[in-house]
Amino acid sequence: MILSALILIPLAGALLIGIWPGTIATKQVRRGSLITLGVNLAVTIYLIAQFDITNPGFQFVEQLDWIETLGLSYRLGVDGVALPLLAINSLLCLVSVYISSEIKRPRLYYSMLLLITSAVAGAFLAQNLLLFFLFYELELIPLYLLIAIWGGARRGYAATKFLIYTALSGALILAAFLGLALLSGTGSFDYNPALAQGLTAFQQTLLLGFLLIGFGVKIPLVPFHTWLPDAHVEASTPLSVLLAGVLLKLGTYGILRFGLGLFPEAWMEVAPLLAWWAVVSVLYGSLAAIAQTDMKKMVAYSSVGHMGYILLAASAANPLSILGTVMQMVSHGLISALMFLLVGVVYKKTGTRDLNVLRGLLAPERGLPFIGSLMVLGAMASAGIPGMAGFISEFIVFRGSFERHALQTLLCMVGSGLTAVYFLLMINRVFFGRLTSADDSVGGSIVVTLPGVSWRDRAPAIALVLIIFAFGLQPEWMTRWIESTTTAFVPNALRAATLVSQPAETPLQTLEIQPPEIQTSGLSPTVTSLIHSPSIDINAAPGSIDWLSYAPSL
Amino acid sequence: MTTTFSTIEQLQPAPAYSQAEYVARLLSGRTLLPDTAENLKEVVGVLKAYGVVLDAYAINLQYIANHQFLNLIPLFKYFDGNVTPKKMAKHIWHNRINYEYAEYVMRTMMWHGGGGLDTYLDSDDFWACCSPAIHAKARRNPVLFVFNKIFPEFLPEQVRQLAYYSGLGQFWRVMSDIFINLSEQYDQGNIKSIDSVVEFVKAGLVADASRPITYSVTIGGTRYDIIPKSVGLTFLPDTAVPYVESIFFRGTPFFGTVSYNAQAHQIPIDQAQFGYGALFADPLPIGGAGIPPTLLMQDMRHYVPDYLAKMYGRSVRGQDDVRVQLSQSFQKSMFCVTEAAVRGLMPYPTNTTDPKEQVLNEDYLNGWMKRLLESRLDIVQSA
Repeated sequence: MILSALILIPLAGALLIGIWPGTIATKQVRRGSLITLGVNLAVTIYLIAQFDITNPGFQFVEQLDWIETLGLSYRLGVDGVALPLLAINSLLCLVSVYISSEIKRPRLYYSMLLLITSAVAGAFLAQNLLLFFLFYELELIPLYLLIAIWGGARRGYAATKFLIYTALSGALILAAFLGLALLSGTGSFDYNPALAQGLTAFQQTLLLGFLLIGFGVKIPLVPFHTWLPDAHVEASTPLSVLLAGVLLKLGTYGILRFGLGLFPEAWMEVAPLLAWWAVVSVLYGSLAAIAQTDMKKMVAYSSVGHMGYILLAASAANPLSILGTVMQMVSHGLISALMFLLVGVVYKKTGTRDLNVLRGLLAPERGLPFIGSLMVLGAMASAGIPGMAGFISEFIVFRGSFERHALQTLLCMVGSGLTAVYFLLMINRVFFGRLTSADDSVGGSIVVTLPGVSWRDRAPAIALVLIIFAFGLQPEWMTRWIESTTTAFVPNALRAATLVSQPAETPLQTLEIQPPEIQTSGLSPTVTSLIHSPSIDINAAPGSIDWLSYAPSL
Repeated sequence: MTTTFSTIEQLQPAPAYSQAEYVARLLSGRTLLPDTAENLKEVVGVLKAYGVVLDAYAINLQYIANHQFLNLIPLFKYFDGNVTPKKMAKHIWHNRINYEYAEYVMRTMMWHGGGGLDTYLDSDDFWACCSPAIHAKARRNPVLFVFNKIFPEFLPEQVRQLAYYSGLGQFWRVMSDIFINLSEQYDQGNIKSIDSVVEFVKAGLVADASRPITYSVTIGGTRYDIIPKSVGLTFLPDTAVPYVESIFFRGTPFFGTVSYNAQAHQIPIDQAQFGYGALFADPLPIGGAGIPPTLLMQDMRHYVPDYLAKMYGRSVRGQDDVRVQLSQSFQKSMFCVTEAAVRGLMPYPTNTTDPKEQVLNEDYLNGWMKRLLESRLDIVQSA
């Protein structure tokens, strides 16, 4: 029941706020939402405490037949891939409610935020393809309304664009799921990695293509990314935090769970192409970020770049790189949420995000020195400076991917360097120099007075920075929950890799390599031992790597 | 129109005045700083705090000059001879008067020079006066003795600096008393306009104009005159005027978020062209110009009178940016002090009816205004 609780608690909160008879003061609505999400976070922490880190499969499984004729069942489960994303969801939704203030139509606003929390948790937990799709679509409605009602000047345009793109994404995903169920002949939509085994290579590749484009819109990958900067610019700060921190992860989670998870053979076939797609996304996102003059757009394009790393690591599909995908999702969730939070504070205090106008905000006493310092930390984390979560996740992504896609990985690393370029450009323009850009008409300058920043504005950002440092200094705190699941992702991939790399005349049945047994009794090896594993030969051709050496404790 | 960011209010540029308008204003008896109730409160309040701090600076500068004479490692120079564990703890904790600021000012004065003190310290008379003192000190200290043998110019240069310590200390002694008296007069209701502030400071300067500046040290019971009274250095021409020139006008650029490229001549080659003084300094602590004002503001904030603290508390950032607000008020007050000096040195009374004298007065004022026009005078014009 604990998994259902994660869906039902925010849902109940949303309903209660939405249909409560009589008037409620804005403050009370916010307090109610905070309590709901506080309880939600507590349940998440309890779930994490109860989670068996040695078990690579789904835990806390709940099964309830719903509409049998459709193959739709209410089936939930959590594994090491979904768990950290659930935690991020619970945390960032709480943050986004915390930083919401002075909201018009608060009851609708807060119930929509709670609905998003519920839907996203449902999507991460769903073990039935149709159920996943339902939650995936459910989350669009509140998000659309939040942009369209509480957004900026061009909110109508941005919200509609978002809706068109992501609805199309949903349609493609549904098409892939339907195709899979029909072609496999089972008629069941329950998540099962063996579902696609009977399909021909062409069928698999076709369905995978649908999924890739569908989730590619959500992630977003170039060229399906154009909705994201618009949505971010028009969305309010709490929404941007959610959008970057949680909602984009639905796309990468979907690619990992349903793309790689269901179609490993086809996946391995298109993997080099995916890696190149990642390169394009990373480089395009980073270069576009350099050209931006709106702080929020810059951070949005930075997201496009950084989400590309996840595709790169997923395409390499070895234990280390799969671990890297989840870690990158977590660290990007934290770091981009931090950046959007800080940009939000700057906007709230100065009334603009224009890089051509803002100057010298680091000025002590009159500027926003504390926020500026946090922004410098955020930029460092984003650019992958050691000691912070961004470094360790990017390092594992690159270290894992380099085995298989050396050139693509090197090109993606350029994106890391470009991150430093655009964020330093932003910090230099916005925070250094003298406060105010303004020349008064007589050749002097005007002293700008900005309102002070309260601890309430700083607290969530400080909390995120602390978490980013904690994971950066002690990555084991993050990897221990993820590792056994991501390692177990590989046997499928291993089989696929071997199949693909074998000469065609070899009879297929001789290739039935037993996937390495995952030992469930002990802890899987730490990241460090994987990184230092002497049997990883980076010069080895793809497919000839000694995959077995990755298996824990053999 | 002004394009900048502000969520508070529409920013209005300060009104712009020409040099002729300022000169006319001075001739008609009006003040450089607009005469408003707020300005009066700011100027008198900040001068009160400044007076308290200057008192401490003046005492310490003279203590260093007189009692830390040629002490090459003056560990306890800021303690005024009162070295107690409590005072040491306070010193290290840093919630104290930052005497370092006084030393910055002293060094800036010494670097820019000017006036009789500078001339005297480069003369043979000075050499004749300081040699006996150096020898007396070196006799008791072998390190100094060897130092003096190897680098005969070193210790005299140290003595020159100590002479500036003493000179600035004596100058600030007078200024501190003027400012404290001004504050008392204001509290008693005798000061009601910016004009009366300027007149009060002018009267103080004039009263002490010919006060002698001297410096002597006692070594082993013997008194050594470094600046004997016979040299004839006096308060106004030999400390006050060089002080205004080097601290109010020239100053030195400091490191900060704004940096200069000296190779690209962003710093004038001619020292006399420097415009980094207190009247030019940016109240935001960005290091753009002036002696790092944060130290002085940090010291003054402990002594801000209640009426001024209340006024600062009402601003947008409240207590957050007291130091910046102090810096702005301080700059306003320094325009008043400058104007007092301008009035004090005026060749003829402003109400003279002789056309020749009027022309000379105008020329004199034009000379000042030409320089002041480059300063932040335009910014303090906004209400």
